[in-house]
This record gives sequence, structure tokens and C-alpha cells, in this order.
Amino acid sequence: MFSSLYLPIAGNGVNILLLLGLGGAVGFLSGLFGVGGGFLMTPLLIMAGIPSTVAAASDSNQIVAASTSGSYAHYRLGNVDFKMGLLLLLGGVLGGTLGVQLIKMLRALGNADFVIKITYVLMLGIVGLYMFVESLQSLRKKVPEISPGRRAEPGRPSLYARLIQALPWQMHFDKSGVTLSPILPILLGILVGILAAIMGVGGGFIMVPVMVYMLRMPMHVVVGTSLFQILFTCINVTIMQAVSNHTVDLVLAIVLLLGSTIGAQFGVKLSHRLKADQLKILLASIVLVVMVQILVGLLLAPGVMLDYKGGH
Amino acid sequence: MASRGLCGRIIWLFLGLLVLAGLPGGAPAASPELLITPEQIDIGTFFQGVQVQITGEIPKGSEAVVEIIGGTQAEHLMRKGRRLGLWMNVGEIEVHHAPSLYLAAATDPRLLSPSRNETSWGFAALKKRLSFSGQMQAGEEVQLFQQFLELKESEGLYDASTKIQRISSSGGGPPLVRTTFWLSGRVKPGNYRVCLSVIHQDGKVAQKCADLPVRAVGFPALLSSLAYQHEALYGILAVVIAIVTGYLMGLLFGGKGGH
Repeated sequence: MFSSLYLPIAGNGVNILLLLGLGGAVGFLSGLFGVGGGFLMTPLLIMAGIPSTVAAASDSNQIVAASTSGSYAHYRLGNVDFKMGLLLLLGGVLGGTLGVQLIKMLRALGNADFVIKITYVLMLGIVGLYMFVESLQSLRKKVPEISPGRRAEPGRPSLYARLIQALPWQMHFDKSGVTLSPILPILLGILVGILAAIMGVGGGFIMVPVMVYMLRMPMHVVVGTSLFQILFTCINVTIMQAVSNHTVDLVLAIVLLLGSTIGAQFGVKLSHRLKADQLKILLASIVLVVMVQILVGLLLAPGVMLDYKGGH
Repeated sequence: MASRGLCGRIIWLFLGLLVLAGLPGGAPAASPELLITPEQIDIGTFFQGVQVQITGEIPKGSEAVVEIIGGTQAEHLMRKGRRLGLWMNVGEIEVHHAPSLYLAAATDPRLLSPSRNETSWGFAALKKRLSFSGQMQAGEEVQLFQQFLELKESEGLYDASTKIQRISSSGGGPPLVRTTFWLSGRVKPGNYRVCLSVIHQDGKVAQKCADLPVRAVGFPALLSSLAYQHEALYGILAVVIAIVTGYLMGLLFGGKGGH
């Protein structure tokens, strides 16, 4: 009798063990690979029959919960660059608001599901392929890792470094130890905010590499600052989705959180037994498998040739 | 004298109440001709769908059709089509006079047969009532109706394949018919109509109908009303609950959370 849980916003009864299992599996991968897992959670929920707009919005709410304790822990350790975080957040709020309105418009046109799925195919395809190729090269060559901040030689600034320096309103970020224009973090925040609204992700899988390679921030500050920015971006996206699209299912978010928190504990334990390159190639394979699954769904003729306008 | 008058009025009032309590018609679902179990469906926290059993009396030699019908509404749907090799929604279709739920069962399956144009029940009858408008070409109605049925059947909201059992009544009463429908977990709160149509041997049809209310109760009702009537409050509440849950989980497991 209690095996099923009614999701009032999705308007459907779903097996509670399935939801806990999904949350647990994503949490396990999250703990294993040290990523948030939002980019896996939404596609898996869609595959489980949750409407994609509800899956994405509820996942944003789940990310609020998931990133709260992490943000607080990093704040206490002094790993949050608030100046950078606030600029990223400004962009994130703008991008998130834009993304939610985009989803609202697409729902009215009847193609929100398609845009969410195709964005996933593109993002997972790019990130998965990049990670796969990079880990494969790393496994073959065994080249010692070079700190990204030291890649550009001091005497010969790269084209990218010169471009960054040419941007107006250069300011120094003490905590990160970098000097750059606020335009860059704001633009990055906008991009992550749009993706958070469309895909229901925190955006850590884009934010972390971009902060390391493009903003040249030290790793310990990157994790804390990205969590801080993700927390507030997802708070904004959750409220906006609730107000504009009525797609946040609180029950779904909490069950997923319970599953993912427990799953993450097992993931963390196993991660100590595997090597970094093995972990990366495994994660890249999972990302690519999910991407292929969504792509196949878009390529093959659907079983039912009609769909509800605006999802369910 | 005055107290005798008051006593008399109380006695008459009491007798009147007794008569009223004995009158039939207050609860049609409990009528011996059409019994619905349960009489009301509550969508609660653990709702996943429910079995609805309908029992009715029919004269010997007659046939019966039982239907559960939802309120009619205009459905806004999207047609799927292929663009650049990918399947996406390509055109809007509006379906008029479509019941939100249609479940039918018959003692003789031919009564619901799609090939019987003259039938008053089943998908064939539904087809006559529905109409389509929007991005469609002339003559596409038949194909669209089939696709519409497939969509609704995939959600368990339309079905015309359930059987009716004949049961001989104990005590020499008229024979009974009984059927059990599965009401999908996707059913929406609202008032549904249950109808038993009896087809006599001379071809005449008698019908008995009763209401089957479906309502959201408890936590789902509270969340739905918050989400749709107080959107901003619901959004803020969702965030506050997520923050508190996340913080407690962090304390409990000592994790650092994720993205």
C-alpha cells in the first residue's frame, strides 16, 4: 500500500523505491566522482516517467538541499570568494530568470520537452566526449598534471590572457588571487543560470572547469565559490519555476534528496579504492550512455504520436 | 398546556425526521440497482490508483454496459513530427468534447465493438462525439482519433476492454452484473459519472447513473492548493524546506553536499 507515493505536482503515483533507488544511484555516482549529479538526475527522472519540466524544476529544488551543507562547510573553511561569487550570482539570477521565461514560452509553444532533451544531448555529449578523450590520453601518456594557473608562461601571455586583460573594469579578487573584468564572471553566471533553468542542474560540471581554466582560480576556492553560486542560483530558479510554471514537486525533491544522501556515502567509500583516471573514464562513459539514450529517444519514432501541450 | 404543545411539536419533529431518514434517493450509489465500491475516492499521500467495483441488477436475458465517464474538456495537444531527423512537437491539435476519463465494460463485447457504428457505448460512440481542430488536413480525423486513444490508453485513462461478470443473485432476486475497473494514478480530482445501461430483450435501453467523486485529501491537497493558489509562498516554502533538510542531512551524515 505504501510502496507508491503520490506526486501532487507531477499528478502521478510513482513507486517510492524507484525514486529512492534513482536518488541513491545518482548520489552514489555523485559521491564516487565528486560531482553533483544533477545532469544525471533529470534525464533519469524523465526516463522514469516524470514530465521533463517537473523533473528539471524539482531537481533544482533538490540541488538547493544538496548544496546547502556543502556551501556552509566551505564558508566555515574560508573557501568562498564572495566578491567573485556575488558576480557569478548576479549573472546566475539573470540567466535563471531568462531560462525560466524561456521554458514558459516553450511550454506555450509545446516544445519545452524537446528543448530540454536536445540541450541534454548537446551538453552531455560535449562534456562526456571531452572527459573521455582527456582521460584516455591521460591513461596512455601518463603525463604529470600541470597546474592550469601556470600554463601561460609569465613572459609570453597567451591570446586568451590578452583578451581577458583587454576587457574593461579590471578588478582584483583577493581570495582567488586573480585580476579580471567582472563581465567574465557575470557572463559565465548567465550561462549557468540558463542551464540551471532548462536542465535542472546546478551547473557544477560546467562551472568548475570554467572557473579553473578560464578564470584561473585556485581549486579550493573554486569548489566553495561554485557551491555558493549554485545554491543561490537554484534558490532563484526554484522560486521562479514555482511562480511561473508550477513545476516544482517538493515531495519528489525531498525523496530524491534522501536517496542521494544515503547513496553518496557508499560512493565516497568506493571512490577511495579507484584511481582518478579510472573514475573519470567511468563517469565519461556513464554521461555518454545517458546522452545516447536521450538521443535514441529523439531519433526513433515515438510510440504515441500525440503529446500534451506544455507537458502534463 | 404550553408544555403539552411543545412536547407534541417535538414528537412530530422526531417522527418527521424518522420518515426523512427512511426515504430513498439520498445516496444513489448505495441503491440496490447500482452499487459502487468505494463510493468516493481520496487521492492521498500514497495514492497509486484504485480498483472500483460496480455491481448492478439487470433483468434476466438482458445485456449491460457499465461506464465511468469524466467531465468533458477541450484538450490541447501537440502532434509529433520529424524535423532534421529528430522527433519533436510540430503542430497543435485541439480535441473538443473529450471526457477526461472513459472506462467501459459490457456483458457482450460486441456492444463496445469499434465496428458497430450504431452503438451508443465504447470508443465508437466516443468517436461520434469528439471533434478535432488545429493544424490538420481534411480526412485526418480517423487517424487523429486513433492517436488520441493511444495517448489516453497509455495513461490508463481510456479503456473499453474490461469484462462484466454475471452473478446469480442469492434469494431468487434479479441476476446481478459486476465489473471492476482500475482507476489510474493519473486520474485528476473531480466528479465522475458511473452509468449502468441495461439493454432489454426488446431492444429498449434503461439507464441508471450515480456520481463518483474523486478528491485530493491530506498532504497532496495542501501542496496542490499552495502550488497553484499561493505560488510565491510555495516556492519560498520549497526552498526553506530544502535548506533545512539539506542542513540536517549534512549534520547527520557529515557530507559536504553536491552541486
